[in-house]
Amino acid sequence: MSFDVPDNLYYLESHEWIDPDTGRVGISDFAQDELGDVVFVELPGVGDELDADSEFGVVESIKAVSDIYAPVSGEVTDVNETLEDEPELVNDDPFGDGWLVELDFDDADLDDLLTAEEYRDQIA
Amino acid sequence: MSGSPYAPHTEAETDAMLDAVGVDSVEELFDIPDSVRFDGEFGIDAKSEQAAVAETERRLAKNDDLAEFLGRGHYEHYVPSLVDHLSQRSEFITSYTQYQPEVTQGFLQVLFEYQSLLVELTGLGVANCSMYDEATALAEAALLAKRVRATSGDRVLVPDYVRDGHVSVLENYTAGADVTVERYPTDDGNVDLDALADVADDDVVLVYAENPTTVGTIEESLDAVGDLADDHDALFCLGSDPVAMSVLQRPADVGADVVVGDASVLGMPTSYGMGLGVFACKEEFLRQVPGRLVGASEDADGTRAYTLTLQTREQHIRKERATSNICTNQAWVALRAAIHAASLGADGLVDLANRMVELPRDLAARLDDVRGVQAPANDRHHFREFLAHTDQPAPAIAADLEAEGFAVNAVDDHHVQICVTDANEHATDALVAAFEEVAN
Repeated sequence: MSFDVPDNLYYLESHEWIDPDTGRVGISDFAQDELGDVVFVELPGVGDELDADSEFGVVESIKAVSDIYAPVSGEVTDVNETLEDEPELVNDDPFGDGWLVELDFDDADLDDLLTAEEYRDQIA
Repeated sequence: MSGSPYAPHTEAETDAMLDAVGVDSVEELFDIPDSVRFDGEFGIDAKSEQAAVAETERRLAKNDDLAEFLGRGHYEHYVPSLVDHLSQRSEFITSYTQYQPEVTQGFLQVLFEYQSLLVELTGLGVANCSMYDEATALAEAALLAKRVRATSGDRVLVPDYVRDGHVSVLENYTAGADVTVERYPTDDGNVDLDALADVADDDVVLVYAENPTTVGTIEESLDAVGDLADDHDALFCLGSDPVAMSVLQRPADVGADVVVGDASVLGMPTSYGMGLGVFACKEEFLRQVPGRLVGASEDADGTRAYTLTLQTREQHIRKERATSNICTNQAWVALRAAIHAASLGADGLVDLANRMVELPRDLAARLDDVRGVQAPANDRHHFREFLAHTDQPAPAIAADLEAEGFAVNAVDDHHVQICVTDANEHATDALVAAFEEVAN
Protein backbone atom coordinates (compact mmCIF):
# COMPACT_ATOMS: atom_id res chain seq x y z
CA MET A 1 0.00 0.00 0.00
CA SER A 2 1.37 3.40 -0.89
CA PHE A 3 0.52 6.61 0.87
CA ASP A 4 0.22 10.13 -0.41
CA VAL A 5 3.21 12.29 0.63
CA PRO A 6 3.00 15.73 -1.05
CA ASP A 7 6.40 17.11 -2.04
CA ASN A 8 5.72 20.70 -0.95
CA LEU A 9 5.25 19.82 2.77
CA TYR A 10 7.61 19.20 5.68
CA TYR A 11 7.09 16.29 8.10
CA LEU A 12 7.75 15.11 11.66
CA GLU A 13 8.76 11.57 12.56
CA SER A 14 5.53 11.46 14.57
CA HIS A 15 3.61 11.91 11.28
CA GLU A 16 2.51 15.56 11.43
CA TRP A 17 2.99 17.81 8.39
CA ILE A 18 3.35 21.57 7.95
CA ASP A 19 2.80 23.62 4.80
CA PRO A 20 5.67 26.16 4.64
CA ASP A 21 3.54 28.62 2.63
CA THR A 22 0.32 28.68 4.70
CA GLY A 23 1.59 27.45 8.09
CA ARG A 24 -1.17 24.82 8.13
CA VAL A 25 -0.49 21.70 10.19
CA GLY A 26 -2.12 18.28 9.97
CA ILE A 27 -1.44 14.56 10.21
CA SER A 28 -0.25 12.49 7.28
CA ASP A 29 -2.13 10.05 5.07
CA PHE A 30 -0.10 7.25 6.67
CA ALA A 31 -1.08 8.42 10.18
CA GLN A 32 -4.80 8.63 9.45
CA ASP A 33 -4.69 5.15 7.93
CA GLU A 34 -2.93 3.74 11.01
CA LEU A 35 -5.44 5.38 13.36
CA GLY A 36 -8.57 4.21 11.57
CA ASP A 37 -11.84 6.16 11.70
CA VAL A 38 -11.25 9.44 13.50
CA VAL A 39 -14.17 10.29 15.80
CA PHE A 40 -12.95 13.33 17.72
CA VAL A 41 -10.26 15.99 17.44
CA GLU A 42 -9.23 18.18 20.36
CA LEU A 43 -7.45 21.37 19.29
CA PRO A 44 -5.85 24.38 21.01
CA GLY A 45 -7.34 27.89 20.94
CA VAL A 46 -6.39 30.69 18.56
CA GLY A 47 -3.59 32.72 20.14
CA ASP A 48 -2.05 29.77 22.00
CA GLU A 49 1.74 29.62 21.81
CA LEU A 50 3.11 26.19 20.85
CA ASP A 51 6.63 24.86 21.36
CA ALA A 52 8.21 22.64 18.72
CA ASP A 53 7.74 18.93 19.52
CA SER A 54 5.21 19.67 22.27
CA GLU A 55 1.72 18.12 22.40
CA PHE A 56 -0.91 20.53 21.21
CA GLY A 57 -3.96 18.37 20.66
CA VAL A 58 -5.48 14.93 20.51
CA VAL A 59 -6.83 12.81 17.69
CA GLU A 60 -9.23 10.12 18.88
CA SER A 61 -10.12 7.23 16.63
CA ILE A 62 -12.23 4.15 17.23
CA LYS A 63 -9.12 2.28 18.36
CA ALA A 64 -6.71 4.81 19.85
CA VAL A 65 -6.18 8.24 21.27
CA SER A 66 -3.06 9.94 19.96
CA ASP A 67 -1.34 13.15 20.93
CA ILE A 68 -0.41 15.51 18.12
CA TYR A 69 2.92 17.33 18.23
CA ALA A 70 3.81 20.76 16.91
CA PRO A 71 6.31 20.55 14.02
CA VAL A 72 7.64 24.03 14.84
CA SER A 73 7.23 26.68 17.51
CA GLY A 74 4.65 29.36 16.82
CA GLU A 75 1.36 31.05 17.60
CA VAL A 76 -1.92 29.46 16.59
CA THR A 77 -3.59 31.83 14.11
CA ASP A 78 -6.49 29.61 13.09
CA VAL A 79 -8.04 26.24 13.99
CA ASN A 80 -10.15 24.00 11.77
CA GLU A 81 -13.50 24.26 13.54
CA THR A 82 -15.19 22.13 10.87
CA LEU A 83 -13.58 19.10 12.54
CA GLU A 84 -15.86 19.51 15.58
CA ASP A 85 -18.75 18.20 13.51
CA GLU A 86 -16.84 16.37 10.78
CA PRO A 87 -13.77 14.71 12.31
CA GLU A 88 -13.85 12.21 9.42
CA LEU A 89 -12.29 14.92 7.22
CA VAL A 90 -8.96 13.90 8.81
CA ASN A 91 -9.41 10.49 7.15
CA ASP A 92 -10.95 11.70 3.91
CA ASP A 93 -8.59 14.56 3.12
CA PRO A 94 -5.64 14.66 5.55
CA PHE A 95 -3.64 17.19 3.50
CA GLY A 96 -6.65 19.33 2.55
CA ASP A 97 -9.91 19.87 4.43
CA GLY A 98 -8.62 17.70 7.27
CA TRP A 99 -6.00 20.25 8.38
CA LEU A 100 -5.83 20.94 12.13
CA VAL A 101 -4.31 24.35 12.94
CA GLU A 102 -2.52 27.22 11.28
CA LEU A 103 0.70 28.56 12.83
CA ASP A 104 2.66 31.77 12.61
CA PHE A 105 6.22 30.45 12.66
CA ASP A 106 9.85 31.15 11.82
CA ASP A 107 10.96 29.70 8.46
CA ALA A 108 14.38 28.78 9.89
CA ASP A 109 12.69 26.14 12.09
CA LEU A 110 11.74 24.15 8.99
CA ASP A 111 15.37 23.00 8.72
CA ASP A 112 14.82 20.60 11.63
CA LEU A 113 11.99 18.78 9.83
CA LEU A 114 11.92 15.88 7.37
CA THR A 115 11.53 16.53 3.68
CA ALA A 116 8.91 14.59 1.74
CA GLU A 117 11.61 12.26 0.49
CA GLU A 118 12.98 11.60 3.96
CA TYR A 119 9.47 11.00 5.33
CA ARG A 120 8.73 8.59 2.45
CA ASP A 121 11.79 6.60 3.49
CA GLN A 122 10.57 6.52 7.09
CA ILE A 123 7.19 5.02 6.30
CA ALA A 124 8.40 2.73 3.52
CA MET B 1 -6.40 -28.01 52.91
CA SER B 2 -5.70 -30.71 50.38
CA GLY B 3 -8.80 -32.49 49.31
CA SER B 4 -11.12 -29.72 50.52
CA PRO B 5 -13.93 -28.90 48.08
CA TYR B 6 -12.83 -25.25 48.29
CA ALA B 7 -9.11 -25.96 47.54
CA PRO B 8 -9.38 -28.91 45.26
CA HIS B 9 -5.72 -29.83 44.71
CA THR B 10 -4.50 -33.14 46.11
CA GLU B 11 -1.18 -33.25 47.91
CA ALA B 12 0.31 -35.04 44.91
CA GLU B 13 -0.84 -32.27 42.58
CA THR B 14 0.48 -29.57 44.91
CA ASP B 15 3.84 -31.36 45.17
CA ALA B 16 4.05 -31.69 41.39
CA MET B 17 3.44 -27.95 40.93
CA LEU B 18 5.96 -27.01 43.61
CA ASP B 19 8.48 -29.32 41.98
CA ALA B 20 7.84 -27.74 38.59
CA VAL B 21 8.62 -24.25 39.89
CA GLY B 22 11.51 -25.49 41.98
CA VAL B 23 10.49 -24.78 45.57
CA ASP B 24 9.98 -27.07 48.54
CA SER B 25 6.83 -25.65 50.09
CA VAL B 26 3.91 -23.33 49.44
CA GLU B 27 5.31 -21.06 52.19
CA GLU B 28 8.35 -20.32 50.04
CA LEU B 29 6.11 -18.67 47.45
CA PHE B 30 5.18 -15.88 49.84
CA ASP B 31 7.33 -13.21 51.42
CA ILE B 32 5.29 -12.09 54.40
CA PRO B 33 7.18 -10.14 57.11
CA ASP B 34 7.18 -11.84 60.52
CA SER B 35 5.67 -8.73 62.08
CA VAL B 36 2.39 -9.20 60.23
CA ARG B 37 2.43 -12.97 59.86
CA PHE B 38 -0.17 -14.90 61.87
CA ASP B 39 1.58 -17.94 63.22
CA GLY B 40 -1.10 -19.48 65.42
CA GLU B 41 -4.01 -21.79 64.95
CA PHE B 42 -7.33 -20.33 63.79
CA GLY B 43 -9.21 -22.50 66.27
CA ILE B 44 -12.06 -23.15 63.87
CA ASP B 45 -13.40 -26.66 64.16
CA ALA B 46 -14.95 -28.30 61.16
CA LYS B 47 -18.72 -28.56 61.52
CA SER B 48 -21.59 -29.81 59.41
CA GLU B 49 -23.47 -27.14 57.46
CA GLN B 50 -26.45 -27.48 59.78
CA ALA B 51 -24.28 -27.01 62.89
CA ALA B 52 -22.42 -24.07 61.31
CA VAL B 53 -25.70 -22.30 60.47
CA ALA B 54 -27.02 -22.86 64.00
CA GLU B 55 -23.80 -21.48 65.53
CA THR B 56 -23.85 -18.40 63.26
CA GLU B 57 -27.50 -17.70 64.08
CA ARG B 58 -26.77 -18.05 67.80
CA ARG B 59 -24.01 -15.43 67.54
CA LEU B 60 -26.05 -13.04 65.38
CA ALA B 61 -28.85 -13.20 67.95
CA LYS B 62 -26.50 -11.47 70.39
CA ASN B 63 -26.64 -8.28 68.31
CA ASP B 64 -28.83 -5.47 69.59
CA ASP B 65 -32.00 -5.12 67.56
CA LEU B 66 -32.34 -1.33 67.44
CA ALA B 67 -34.87 0.72 65.53
CA GLU B 68 -32.56 2.80 63.38
CA PHE B 69 -32.98 6.54 62.78
CA LEU B 70 -29.38 7.26 61.74
CA GLY B 71 -29.39 8.58 58.14
CA ARG B 72 -26.43 10.86 57.36
CA GLY B 73 -25.69 9.34 53.97
CA HIS B 74 -27.31 5.93 54.27
CA TYR B 75 -31.05 5.76 53.70
CA GLU B 76 -33.43 2.86 53.59
CA HIS B 77 -36.57 2.73 51.49
CA TYR B 78 -38.76 -0.30 51.00
CA VAL B 79 -37.32 -2.31 48.12
CA PRO B 80 -40.04 -4.11 46.12
CA SER B 81 -39.55 -7.89 45.99
CA LEU B 82 -39.55 -7.57 42.20
CA VAL B 83 -36.04 -6.11 42.49
CA ASP B 84 -34.67 -9.26 44.12
CA HIS B 85 -36.43 -11.56 41.70
CA LEU B 86 -35.22 -9.80 38.56
CA SER B 87 -31.73 -8.79 39.70
CA GLN B 88 -30.92 -12.33 40.84
CA ARG B 89 -31.61 -13.87 37.46
CA SER B 90 -28.46 -15.66 36.40
CA GLU B 91 -27.95 -13.36 33.38
CA PHE B 92 -27.52 -10.46 35.79
CA ILE B 93 -25.45 -12.03 38.56
CA THR B 94 -22.17 -10.28 37.99
CA SER B 95 -20.84 -6.98 39.22
CA TYR B 96 -18.35 -6.96 36.40
CA THR B 97 -18.33 -4.61 33.45
CA GLN B 98 -20.39 -5.66 30.43
CA TYR B 99 -17.58 -5.59 27.89
CA GLN B 100 -19.13 -7.97 25.40
CA PRO B 101 -22.22 -6.51 23.76
CA GLU B 102 -22.85 -9.77 21.90
CA VAL B 103 -23.71 -11.55 25.17
CA THR B 104 -24.90 -8.74 27.46
CA GLN B 105 -27.59 -6.81 25.61
CA GLY B 106 -30.08 -7.15 28.47
CA PHE B 107 -27.69 -5.87 31.10
CA LEU B 108 -26.45 -3.06 28.87
CA GLN B 109 -30.00 -1.99 28.17
CA VAL B 110 -30.77 -1.75 31.90
CA LEU B 111 -27.62 0.34 32.44
CA PHE B 112 -28.65 2.57 29.55
CA GLU B 113 -32.05 2.98 31.25
CA TYR B 114 -30.26 3.81 34.53
CA GLN B 115 -28.25 6.51 32.74
CA SER B 116 -31.41 7.81 31.05
CA LEU B 117 -33.18 8.00 34.43
CA LEU B 118 -30.39 10.18 35.81
CA VAL B 119 -30.33 12.35 32.70
CA GLU B 120 -34.07 12.92 33.16
CA LEU B 121 -33.83 13.65 36.89
CA THR B 122 -30.79 15.94 36.63
CA GLY B 123 -31.68 17.64 33.35
CA LEU B 124 -28.04 17.26 32.33
CA GLY B 125 -26.94 15.80 29.01
CA VAL B 126 -24.97 12.75 30.08
CA ALA B 127 -24.71 10.33 33.01
CA ASN B 128 -22.28 7.46 33.41
CA CYS B 129 -23.36 3.97 34.42
CA SER B 130 -22.17 4.46 38.04
CA MET B 131 -19.16 5.00 40.26
CA TYR B 132 -18.23 3.43 43.60
CA ASP B 133 -19.90 6.02 45.80
CA GLU B 134 -20.79 9.66 46.26
CA ALA B 135 -17.40 10.63 47.71
CA THR B 136 -15.34 9.31 44.79
CA ALA B 137 -17.85 10.83 42.36
CA LEU B 138 -17.33 14.21 44.04
CA ALA B 139 -13.56 13.78 43.77
CA GLU B 140 -13.91 12.97 40.06
CA ALA B 141 -16.01 16.13 39.65
CA ALA B 142 -13.16 18.14 41.17
CA LEU B 143 -10.66 16.54 38.79
CA LEU B 144 -12.98 17.18 35.83
CA ALA B 145 -13.29 20.83 36.84
CA LYS B 146 -9.54 21.10 37.13
CA ARG B 147 -9.13 19.63 33.62
CA VAL B 148 -11.73 21.67 31.78
CA ARG B 149 -11.16 25.01 33.41
CA ALA B 150 -8.77 27.15 31.36
CA THR B 151 -6.97 28.87 34.25
CA SER B 152 -4.30 27.78 36.68
CA GLY B 153 -6.72 27.98 39.64
CA ASP B 154 -6.88 25.06 42.02
CA ARG B 155 -9.49 25.83 44.71
CA VAL B 156 -12.42 23.52 45.37
CA LEU B 157 -15.03 24.98 47.75
CA VAL B 158 -17.26 22.67 49.77
CA PRO B 159 -19.84 23.71 52.40
CA ASP B 160 -19.00 23.06 56.05
CA TYR B 161 -21.90 20.61 56.36
CA VAL B 162 -20.21 18.04 54.12
CA ARG B 163 -19.33 14.97 56.15
CA ASP B 164 -15.68 14.57 57.14
CA GLY B 165 -15.47 11.23 55.34
CA HIS B 166 -16.37 12.83 52.02
CA VAL B 167 -13.85 15.62 52.49
CA SER B 168 -11.18 13.10 53.41
CA VAL B 169 -11.81 11.07 50.24
CA LEU B 170 -11.86 14.27 48.19
CA GLU B 171 -8.49 15.37 49.61
CA ASN B 172 -6.91 11.94 49.20
CA TYR B 173 -8.18 11.42 45.68
CA THR B 174 -7.05 14.84 44.44
CA ALA B 175 -3.73 14.89 46.30
CA GLY B 176 -1.63 14.48 43.14
CA ALA B 177 -3.68 16.87 41.02
CA ASP B 178 -2.81 20.25 42.54
CA VAL B 179 -6.27 20.80 44.02
CA THR B 180 -6.90 22.57 47.33
CA VAL B 181 -10.09 21.74 49.20
CA GLU B 182 -11.56 24.51 51.35
CA ARG B 183 -14.74 24.66 53.41
CA TYR B 184 -17.09 27.63 53.28
CA PRO B 185 -19.57 28.61 56.01
CA THR B 186 -23.27 27.84 56.07
CA ASP B 187 -26.15 29.62 57.79
CA ASP B 188 -28.89 27.69 59.61
CA GLY B 189 -28.17 24.56 57.57
CA ASN B 190 -28.00 26.17 54.13
CA VAL B 191 -25.26 27.77 52.04
CA ASP B 192 -24.40 31.26 53.33
CA LEU B 193 -24.35 33.16 50.05
CA ASP B 194 -22.55 36.23 51.40
CA ALA B 195 -19.87 34.12 53.03
CA LEU B 196 -19.47 32.10 49.83
CA ALA B 197 -19.20 35.29 47.75
CA ASP B 198 -16.47 36.50 50.12
CA VAL B 199 -14.27 33.45 49.58
CA ALA B 200 -14.98 32.86 45.88
CA ASP B 201 -12.47 34.19 43.36
CA ASP B 202 -11.16 33.34 39.91
CA ASP B 203 -8.89 30.62 41.32
CA VAL B 204 -11.94 28.53 42.16
CA VAL B 205 -12.46 25.58 39.80
CA LEU B 206 -15.45 23.99 41.55
CA VAL B 207 -18.16 25.04 43.99
CA TYR B 208 -20.01 22.18 45.67
CA ALA B 209 -23.34 22.15 47.50
CA GLU B 210 -25.85 19.47 48.46
CA ASN B 211 -29.61 19.22 48.19
CA PRO B 212 -30.77 17.94 50.60
CA THR B 213 -27.82 18.78 52.81
CA THR B 214 -26.07 16.41 55.20
CA VAL B 215 -28.32 17.71 58.00
CA GLY B 216 -31.43 17.16 55.89
CA THR B 217 -32.24 20.78 55.04
CA ILE B 218 -33.49 21.68 51.58
CA GLU B 219 -31.34 24.39 49.98
CA GLU B 220 -33.28 27.52 49.04
CA SER B 221 -30.86 29.54 46.88
CA LEU B 222 -29.11 27.07 44.64
CA ASP B 223 -29.62 29.21 41.54
CA ALA B 224 -27.64 31.97 43.27
CA VAL B 225 -24.86 29.48 44.04
CA GLY B 226 -24.87 28.47 40.37
CA ASP B 227 -24.68 32.12 39.28
CA LEU B 228 -21.84 32.81 41.69
CA ALA B 229 -19.84 29.86 40.35
CA ASP B 230 -20.56 31.06 36.83
CA ASP B 231 -19.36 34.59 37.63
CA HIS B 232 -15.96 33.11 38.47
CA ASP B 233 -15.97 30.70 35.54
CA ALA B 234 -16.03 27.81 38.03
CA LEU B 235 -18.10 24.65 37.72
CA PHE B 236 -21.05 24.12 40.06
CA CYS B 237 -21.37 20.57 41.39
CA LEU B 238 -24.54 19.54 43.20
CA GLY B 239 -24.83 16.48 45.45
CA SER B 240 -28.25 14.81 45.59
CA ASP B 241 -29.96 11.46 45.06
CA PRO B 242 -32.58 10.14 42.63
CA VAL B 243 -35.42 10.15 45.16
CA ALA B 244 -34.73 13.72 46.27
CA MET B 245 -34.31 14.92 42.68
CA SER B 246 -37.81 13.63 41.92
CA VAL B 247 -39.34 16.57 43.81
CA LEU B 248 -36.59 19.10 44.52
CA GLN B 249 -35.43 21.70 41.98
CA ARG B 250 -33.95 20.06 38.91
CA PRO B 251 -30.14 20.46 39.07
CA ALA B 252 -29.88 21.75 35.49
CA ASP B 253 -32.44 24.47 36.32
CA VAL B 254 -30.21 25.89 39.07
CA GLY B 255 -27.12 25.90 36.87
CA ALA B 256 -25.46 22.67 37.97
CA ASP B 257 -22.64 21.58 35.65
CA VAL B 258 -22.09 18.26 37.42
CA VAL B 259 -24.34 16.19 39.69
CA VAL B 260 -22.95 13.57 42.06
CA GLY B 261 -24.70 11.57 44.71
CA ASP B 262 -25.70 8.18 45.92
CA ALA B 263 -28.32 6.22 43.99
CA SER B 264 -28.26 3.24 46.35
CA VAL B 265 -31.27 4.84 48.05
CA LEU B 266 -33.03 2.84 45.33
CA GLY B 267 -32.73 -0.91 45.07
CA MET B 268 -30.57 -1.46 48.16
CA PRO B 269 -31.00 -1.65 51.91
CA THR B 270 -28.56 0.36 54.03
CA SER B 271 -25.56 -1.83 53.48
CA TYR B 272 -22.63 -1.10 55.72
CA GLY B 273 -21.04 1.62 53.64
CA MET B 274 -21.49 0.38 50.12
CA GLY B 275 -22.75 3.04 47.75
CA LEU B 276 -23.78 3.65 44.16
CA GLY B 277 -22.04 6.78 42.91
CA VAL B 278 -24.02 9.06 40.61
CA PHE B 279 -22.08 11.04 38.03
CA ALA B 280 -23.90 13.26 35.54
CA CYS B 281 -22.73 16.36 33.72
CA LYS B 282 -23.35 18.69 30.82
CA GLU B 283 -22.86 17.15 27.40
CA GLU B 284 -19.97 19.49 26.61
CA PHE B 285 -17.90 17.44 29.11
CA LEU B 286 -18.78 14.13 27.42
CA ARG B 287 -15.15 13.19 26.81
CA GLN B 288 -14.20 14.18 30.35
CA VAL B 289 -16.66 11.83 32.08
CA PRO B 290 -14.90 9.29 34.32
CA GLY B 291 -15.94 5.66 34.34
CA ARG B 292 -18.18 3.77 31.97
CA LEU B 293 -20.78 4.93 29.48
CA VAL B 294 -23.32 2.71 27.75
CA GLY B 295 -24.41 3.99 24.37
CA ALA B 296 -27.28 3.07 22.08
CA SER B 297 -26.25 2.08 18.57
CA GLU B 298 -27.33 -0.22 15.76
CA ASP B 299 -26.08 -3.69 14.92
CA ALA B 300 -25.24 -4.92 11.40
CA ASP B 301 -28.95 -5.58 10.74
CA GLY B 302 -29.94 -2.07 11.77
CA THR B 303 -31.49 -3.24 15.07
CA ARG B 304 -31.11 -1.03 18.15
CA ALA B 305 -28.21 -2.33 20.22
CA TYR B 306 -26.28 -1.23 23.28
CA THR B 307 -22.55 -1.10 23.86
CA LEU B 308 -19.93 0.46 26.07
CA THR B 309 -18.78 3.56 24.28
CA LEU B 310 -15.99 6.16 24.33
CA GLN B 311 -13.62 3.70 25.96
CA THR B 312 -10.61 5.48 24.50
CA ARG B 313 -11.02 7.94 27.41
CA GLU B 314 -10.17 5.19 29.81
CA GLN B 315 -7.05 4.02 31.50
CA HIS B 316 -7.10 0.55 29.98
CA ILE B 317 -6.52 2.15 26.57
CA ARG B 318 -4.99 5.50 27.27
CA LYS B 319 -2.82 4.76 30.33
CA GLU B 320 -1.35 7.90 31.86
CA ARG B 321 -3.35 10.16 29.55
CA ALA B 322 -6.65 8.68 30.67
CA THR B 323 -9.56 10.82 31.85
CA SER B 324 -9.50 9.08 35.23
CA ASN B 325 -8.19 5.99 36.96
CA ILE B 326 -11.67 4.56 37.26
CA CYS B 327 -12.16 1.68 34.84
CA THR B 328 -15.08 0.07 36.58
CA ASN B 329 -18.51 0.64 38.03
CA GLN B 330 -21.22 -0.75 40.31
CA ALA B 331 -23.11 -2.41 37.50
CA TRP B 332 -25.29 -4.80 39.48
CA VAL B 333 -26.18 -2.18 42.09
CA ALA B 334 -27.09 0.26 39.31
CA LEU B 335 -29.22 -2.49 37.76
CA ARG B 336 -31.14 -2.87 41.04
CA ALA B 337 -31.63 0.90 41.31
CA ALA B 338 -32.96 1.04 37.75
CA ILE B 339 -35.38 -1.84 38.38
CA HIS B 340 -36.59 -0.20 41.61
CA ALA B 341 -37.15 3.14 39.85
CA ALA B 342 -38.93 1.46 36.94
CA SER B 343 -41.18 -0.50 39.28
CA LEU B 344 -42.16 2.69 41.13
CA GLY B 345 -42.69 4.61 37.90
CA ALA B 346 -42.53 8.39 37.72
CA ASP B 347 -45.61 8.89 39.94
CA GLY B 348 -44.44 6.34 42.48
CA LEU B 349 -41.04 8.01 42.72
CA VAL B 350 -42.65 11.42 43.29
CA ASP B 351 -45.05 9.96 45.90
CA LEU B 352 -42.10 8.42 47.76
CA ALA B 353 -40.18 11.69 47.60
CA ASN B 354 -43.16 13.68 48.89
CA ARG B 355 -43.36 11.31 51.88
CA MET B 356 -39.71 12.15 52.59
CA VAL B 357 -40.75 15.78 53.06
CA GLU B 358 -43.87 14.99 55.14
CA LEU B 359 -42.36 12.39 57.49
CA PRO B 360 -39.55 14.54 58.97
CA ARG B 361 -41.89 17.54 59.18
CA ASP B 362 -44.45 15.55 61.19
CA LEU B 363 -41.91 13.81 63.42
CA ALA B 364 -40.08 17.07 64.14
CA ALA B 365 -43.37 18.70 65.16
CA ARG B 366 -44.13 15.86 67.57
CA LEU B 367 -40.63 15.94 69.09
CA ASP B 368 -40.90 19.72 69.43
CA ASP B 369 -43.77 19.09 71.84
CA VAL B 370 -41.51 16.98 74.04
CA ARG B 371 -40.10 18.93 76.99
CA GLY B 372 -36.35 19.49 76.53
CA VAL B 373 -36.42 19.11 72.73
CA GLN B 374 -36.63 21.76 69.99
CA ALA B 375 -37.15 20.39 66.51
CA PRO B 376 -36.25 21.00 63.82
CA ALA B 377 -33.17 22.89 64.97
CA ASN B 378 -32.87 24.56 61.55
CA ASP B 379 -35.72 26.79 60.42
CA ARG B 380 -35.82 25.11 57.01
CA HIS B 381 -37.74 22.56 55.02
CA HIS B 382 -36.31 19.09 55.39
CA PHE B 383 -35.91 15.88 53.42
CA ARG B 384 -35.78 12.55 55.28
CA GLU B 385 -33.86 13.92 58.29
CA PHE B 386 -33.40 16.86 60.60
CA LEU B 387 -31.43 18.05 63.60
CA ALA B 388 -33.14 18.33 66.98
CA HIS B 389 -31.77 20.52 69.76
CA THR B 390 -31.68 18.84 73.17
CA ASP B 391 -31.45 20.71 76.48
CA GLN B 392 -29.69 17.73 78.03
CA PRO B 393 -26.31 16.66 76.54
CA ALA B 394 -26.98 14.96 73.20
CA PRO B 395 -24.51 12.05 73.68
CA ALA B 396 -26.28 11.10 76.94
CA ILE B 397 -29.66 11.24 75.21
CA ALA B 398 -28.38 9.07 72.35
CA ALA B 399 -27.08 6.55 74.90
CA ASP B 400 -30.37 6.54 76.80
CA LEU B 401 -32.31 6.09 73.56
CA GLU B 402 -30.07 3.17 72.66
CA ALA B 403 -30.98 1.54 75.96
CA GLU B 404 -34.63 2.03 74.96
CA GLY B 405 -33.99 0.33 71.60
CA PHE B 406 -33.34 3.26 69.23
CA ALA B 407 -30.24 4.29 67.29
CA VAL B 408 -29.84 8.04 66.68
CA ASN B 409 -26.74 10.15 65.99
CA ALA B 410 -25.52 12.72 68.48
CA VAL B 411 -23.82 15.19 66.14
CA ASP B 412 -22.57 17.62 68.79
CA ASP B 413 -23.12 18.51 72.48
CA HIS B 414 -26.76 19.49 72.07
CA HIS B 415 -27.96 18.15 68.70
CA VAL B 416 -29.16 14.75 67.63
CA GLN B 417 -29.93 13.93 64.00
CA ILE B 418 -33.01 11.91 63.19
CA CYS B 419 -33.75 10.25 59.86
CA VAL B 420 -37.24 8.96 59.10
CA THR B 421 -38.33 7.13 55.97
CA ASP B 422 -40.94 4.60 54.94
CA ALA B 423 -38.62 1.94 56.39
CA ASN B 424 -38.77 3.10 60.02
CA GLU B 425 -41.87 5.30 60.20
CA HIS B 426 -43.71 2.47 62.00
CA ALA B 427 -41.39 3.07 64.97
CA THR B 428 -41.96 6.83 65.28
CA ASP B 429 -44.65 6.59 67.99
CA ALA B 430 -42.30 4.52 70.11
CA LEU B 431 -39.41 6.93 69.40
CA VAL B 432 -41.46 9.94 70.56
CA ALA B 433 -42.44 8.02 73.71
CA ALA B 434 -38.78 7.19 74.35
CA PHE B 435 -37.81 10.85 73.94
CA GLU B 436 -40.44 11.74 76.57
CA GLU B 437 -38.66 9.34 78.93
CA VAL B 438 -35.09 10.54 78.35
CA ALA B 439 -35.11 14.17 77.12
CA ASN B 440 -35.98 16.28 80.15
